Amino acid sequence: MANIATQRIKREFKEVIKSEEVAKCAIRVQLVDDNYTELKGEIAGPPDTPYEGGNFVLEIKVPETYPFNPPKVRFITKIWHPNISSVTGAICLDILKDQWAAAMTLRTVLLSLQALLSSAEPDDPQDAVVAKQYKDKLDMFEKTARHWTHVYAGGPCYNQEFADKIKRLEDMGVEENQARVALSSYNWDLERATEQLFSS
Amino acid sequence: MSTSASPAEPSASPPEPSTSGNSSQKEGAGEEARDDRNFECNICLDTAKNAVVSMCGHLFCWPCLHQWLETASARQVCPVCKAAISREKVVPLYGRGSSDQQDPRENSAPRPSGQRTEPDGSLFNGFGLGDNSFHLSFGIGAFPFGFFTSTFNLGETRPSPAAMGTPQHLEEQFLSKIFLWLAIIFIAWLLLA
Ligand SMILES: [Zn+2]
Ligand SMILES: [Zn+2]
Repeated sequence: MANIATQRIKREFKEVIKSEEVAKCAIRVQLVDDNYTELKGEIAGPPDTPYEGGNFVLEIKVPETYPFNPPKVRFITKIWHPNISSVTGAICLDILKDQWAAAMTLRTVLLSLQALLSSAEPDDPQDAVVAKQYKDKLDMFEKTARHWTHVYAGGPCYNQEFADKIKRLEDMGVEENQARVALSSYNWDLERATEQLFSS
Repeated sequence: MSTSASPAEPSASPPEPSTSGNSSQKEGAGEEARDDRNFECNICLDTAKNAVVSMCGHLFCWPCLHQWLETASARQVCPVCKAAISREKVVPLYGRGSSDQQDPRENSAPRPSGQRTEPDGSLFNGFGLGDNSFHLSFGIGAFPFGFFTSTFNLGETRPSPAAMGTPQHLEEQFLSKIFLWLAIIFIAWLLLA
């Protein structure tokens, strides 16, 4: 049977490719396999956010029941955001769960994710640590998110202080990403991050 | 975004570069494509087959919409605008021509049929005094019958020519009530006379 999911993705592919968001380099979709079941999405970090200048890669898995069920999407690029897991890239977004509607497309999903980067919802978090920082120390959150955007998504903002602290932990034998997560989680308090890393 | 490829070209109406193109052939093709898209199903994105329209005006193939209603059975909303939706409240579109050529997939769920309402005015025309006796005798006979048929139709879900909720059915119930009142008046008149 000609799978409706495949047909749909093929049609959508044309739609996304010719849409003007692509011309603005805002969103992009690429095939990963020939079966149209796995795709690679890309979104640009929205302006006036800590994600500005970054390019975020997404893994998109199309279920056989698409478009009656939503695609499974997660961030491959590491990102510091209350609604996205800093470890797995899992996303907490209603339209990817119970608010999905069959007329939505990959294009609307990518645009919704871009909108999520502009307006986080810390009260419905995926990453509790990030959400807490967002609520308690917004300034610290923005600096951290900008740093992550620079390191993982090619963003422009280098942070010497953060880089130095990560280097200190690396010198103690801690893996770089692990050091970054620990420091980010403890508001870049080197002492507490070290404590946490070596106590467990 | 600027789509005008040749800024030096003299243009008759600068504010609308997209509709005043100099290549008319390209224009025509674009227009055609846009026309087609108006009749695309909002779910499969193909030209709608066995088309139905929701009360909010969104177009779907009936098989596509049916599958959506089955999948999201807890949340019956329009896939486009998320307005409330139900299989009873979709309107089928009957175009000229291909409506009888059925795709085999459609056998699973028959598309809801169209509903016809008679034009107003034809039913109550002969309601003058002179006709009373005829209407009354008919009313007394018809009332219990109409009552019973409507009662027993309640549990039935199979679509039939005059199913529950159709205008025909509602009309029947309305007429039954009128005949009941006329019967009461008639009996009262008999008693008084
Ligand atoms: Zn369809
Ligand atoms: Zn609608």
